[in-house]
Amino acid sequence: MTKTTIDYKNIYYPPGGILLWLIIFLELITFGIALLAMVYSSREEPESFHNSRLLLNSTIGAINTVFLISSGFCMAQSVTYFKLKNLKKTNLYLKLTILGGLLFLGLKGYEYADKIALGYTIGYNTFFSFYWMLTLFHVIHVLVGLVVLCSLQLTLNKTKLETSTENIASCAAFWHMCDLIWILVFPVVYLLL
Amino acid sequence: MKQTTYTLLALILLTLIAAYISTTAGVYTAAGILIVSACKFVGISCYFMEMKKAHVFWKIAILIYLFLFTVIALILI
Repeated sequence: MTKTTIDYKNIYYPPGGILLWLIIFLELITFGIALLAMVYSSREEPESFHNSRLLLNSTIGAINTVFLISSGFCMAQSVTYFKLKNLKKTNLYLKLTILGGLLFLGLKGYEYADKIALGYTIGYNTFFSFYWMLTLFHVIHVLVGLVVLCSLQLTLNKTKLETSTENIASCAAFWHMCDLIWILVFPVVYLLL
Repeated sequence: MKQTTYTLLALILLTLIAAYISTTAGVYTAAGILIVSACKFVGISCYFMEMKKAHVFWKIAILIYLFLFTVIALILI
């Protein structure tokens, strides 16, 4: 059996694969444009945006950021241990990654329930239209990421170390994309007053 | 592996700094928050996503994206 090593310095082989990186850039551009549209709208209706932002709990946003960042760290550790052929730690960190994602979704669910109970739904005003669209779109990405990670976990349990490093790196790149998007969403939606 | 751990600690610290800056009312509050977020973005892409090992094209592409996003956001605010 021949062992192939990926040369990440090759322009066609970024970590995670070129196709995934094209998707990552498309996602970043989509979210970027939506966030800039939100910033532009806040200039049009400054008072409404200021008052609406005060209705959000930035502490919840910050805790969610920590959850996602820690989850991303665990994913990076999982990839590292897989490369070192340590399946036990790979599995452990993968489970912690999934846990981080679930905690994020749990807290987001609590925040959504609170906003719905208070009547701040998608049609409440322009700010909340952006809030719901941007954060829900991000939550969908996190959900897809969790499905990908769970399937990776199952594959790892079945095939042990036969899974290719590229597969794990691709799953990791998708998960980190969720981190990157949140890193842009959090300051614009929760912090910029 | 130590580098990844240091990155995690730095990212958490930067999140706290961004949250603190947002409580201060100043001319440069928005700029401060966006610059701190840009630093977090670089940290995740370089150290978690291993972009530092990638071809220079990908590194420049991500930096150009980040630069454009931050500058346009600052102009629009």
